[in-house]
Amino acid sequence: MIRLEVDAFSYDGTEQVLVGPVLQVHPGDHVVVTGASGSGKTTLLRLLAGLTGSDAGAAFTGSITLDDERLDFAGSEQDPRIDAARWSEQVAYVAQGAWGQLSMMSATVGEEIAFGPANRGVPAGQLRARVDAVAESLGLTPLLERDPRRLSGGQLQRTLIAAAMVQRSRVLVLDEPFQGLDDDAAAEVAAALEVLRREGTGIVVSAPILPAPILPAPILPAPMLPAPIPAEAAPRSARVLALAGGRPVFDGSLADARTAGLDRFGIGTMGDPPAIGEAPERPEPAAAGAALLELRNVSFRYPQQHGAPHGTGLRGVGFSVSSGEIIALRGPNGSGKSTLLQHLNGLLRADSGSIAVDGTPIRSQPTGSFAAVVGYLFQDTDQQLFERTVLREVAYGPRSIGRRRPDAERRAAAALDEVGLQAVSQAHPYELGFVQRRLVALASLLATGPRLWALDEPTAGLDAPAREVMAALLRAHARGGGAVVLATHDAAFAETVAHRSLWLDDGRIVTQGGTEHG
Amino acid sequence: MPRRRIYNPLTELLTAALLVVLVLVVNRWEVSLAVLLLVVLPAILLSGRARRIGLAIAIVVGPLLISSLLLHGLFFPEGERILLDLGFARVTVEGLAFAAVMGLRTSVFAGVLLTAAMTLDIADLVATMTHCGWNRKLVFIVGSAVGLIPQVALRGEQITRAQQARGLVVGAGLPSRLRALLAVTTPLVIGLLVDASERNHMLEARGFSARVPRTSYRPDSDTPGQRLFRILLTLGVGAFCLTWIVLVVLT
Repeated sequence: MIRLEVDAFSYDGTEQVLVGPVLQVHPGDHVVVTGASGSGKTTLLRLLAGLTGSDAGAAFTGSITLDDERLDFAGSEQDPRIDAARWSEQVAYVAQGAWGQLSMMSATVGEEIAFGPANRGVPAGQLRARVDAVAESLGLTPLLERDPRRLSGGQLQRTLIAAAMVQRSRVLVLDEPFQGLDDDAAAEVAAALEVLRREGTGIVVSAPILPAPILPAPILPAPMLPAPIPAEAAPRSARVLALAGGRPVFDGSLADARTAGLDRFGIGTMGDPPAIGEAPERPEPAAAGAALLELRNVSFRYPQQHGAPHGTGLRGVGFSVSSGEIIALRGPNGSGKSTLLQHLNGLLRADSGSIAVDGTPIRSQPTGSFAAVVGYLFQDTDQQLFERTVLREVAYGPRSIGRRRPDAERRAAAALDEVGLQAVSQAHPYELGFVQRRLVALASLLATGPRLWALDEPTAGLDAPAREVMAALLRAHARGGGAVVLATHDAAFAETVAHRSLWLDDGRIVTQGGTEHG
Repeated sequence: MPRRRIYNPLTELLTAALLVVLVLVVNRWEVSLAVLLLVVLPAILLSGRARRIGLAIAIVVGPLLISSLLLHGLFFPEGERILLDLGFARVTVEGLAFAAVMGLRTSVFAGVLLTAAMTLDIADLVATMTHCGWNRKLVFIVGSAVGLIPQVALRGEQITRAQQARGLVVGAGLPSRLRALLAVTTPLVIGLLVDASERNHMLEARGFSARVPRTSYRPDSDTPGQRLFRILLTLGVGAFCLTWIVLVVLT
């Protein structure tokens, strides 16, 4: 149906970011394009989507064949130009970054899905029929009148897929659709993709790690989504194209890929623990220092907001964290993990109960005054990056707690070195890939030097090397007398790195214990 | 709760615009007061957002009223009946009256326009504009207000939270708040530009450049009755204003 052959591709005519991959997609295929950060996944997917970059100085040599029509590219100005609107009728593309994919002029999910066909002048009656059909396939019918800006991550991603697929394109290309989604949301999206694949759509998905195979389970009739499907799963028949440094290093079945030793290319497998050697060293209670963090009977309720579902609050939460400890907050989506984390540096203030960090009770002090003691990593990295260069970004924390510029920049450079990003210190944070942006956010926390780290889903969307960097840094921080509280759905990571887990449900701690509970 | 909508947004916008024209042309305080009490005030009270609209009007009109009072109340050259002579300035009855009339008209303008803008159903307006065959780029600009303005507010809030988590302390004083605002502006604008460049391809892929007339998922809330009403209203106000100018202003 579609075949992409890349002899070479470069963005600026110098460094080749893709050399030699060939990708073929047939109806009902599910192809996973995998590779560590910077391996060329996004570039390959953009080529499939018809974005050859010829108008932006990129040089592509190779060919794209869609059915019987073959387009040859020689990296010259005479190369064919692809009409994005016509191409998308055959090959739908969902890029990274959900907000950039929304039309921003639709008040409801139904209007968002209808945006494309409405632009093409499809009469109103047919428009509704098309929207209803795709919404039914993807389990979106109950959401059609909802505001797209108020959807959960999984619902938003499914809306974008529906908007791209409303024309019944035969190939759907998705660039890291699970990025930043928690397990429940990722499972929703995986189920939606499986529905489309079974209807004959060729699916191409990029991912930094190999997905788990979907176990043979009955598919419920539409509009019910198939269940249960593990997060970020792919069907057993899925094919894998693995890239490293822009070159293909594996092309075969998912089962073979899982045993092909792709970890040497920085390609991990979903559910594997980070490869950081020995088991976690539990600090002896006697060796552990005084409580660095202490919560007593903390309760919190979100204020009611018009039209917005208010998040789970906290109900009588109490625990303490000593120096040298890594604690994992675990539990289902909406159980209160992020809410609890945001209490540790004053982003949210408890209605009752008490919280003390390093002996200082959190009362009415400004949030910023806790930055020297508590470092916070947001779940959405892009919330956290706001400076012009990576170095300035990382130096912001030390500067804001009173370090002089040379000292702040020295600390920033050292932190960037620790996460392996010194080479990009003068780049703009938005020029980096997702994994690198996540590491920049972590480096900014390192540079400020707080003793307590509060990390919200720190491994979401990371590739295997970055996940290992994260694990190693957490352990080193604990060994150095710091403490970490992380909210995570990544069971294997929590098992390997954390000393104990606190399980939350509906805003209260339901189980405390060693990570073997997970 | 926002009120249930009765009229099409185009009808509401046109009515608001024509009211402003009427108050501008008929320069009588009685007319301004009547529009304020009989149209603007009930509209605000029935809007379901009376507090927010009231606050917005106060923020816009308050400074204008004060400056008008100071300017015309103290320095009105035609003023004859002096209430207070300060040497460098004179408080006159005529000056105060002029300031009051100006303030009244300003209140009517702000009241009419802000009430219309703050109760407008933009999604409905976009649907109507599409059904009427307006230029799709213009429709997109208007429609972007649906998602973009709340998104800007949300993003600004998120950046402030991230900056606070990393040590930004926003004090109660104006300089501190201004610094915080500046710190948010740059990343906010850059983020919006990045989103816009990503959105550009999505718009192309979803046929935004197509040349056929755009259709709408939303049904048209406009009716033949309202179209007729708008035409009659425009003709009526136009004819009245013309007559007023000829008979009253020019004689």
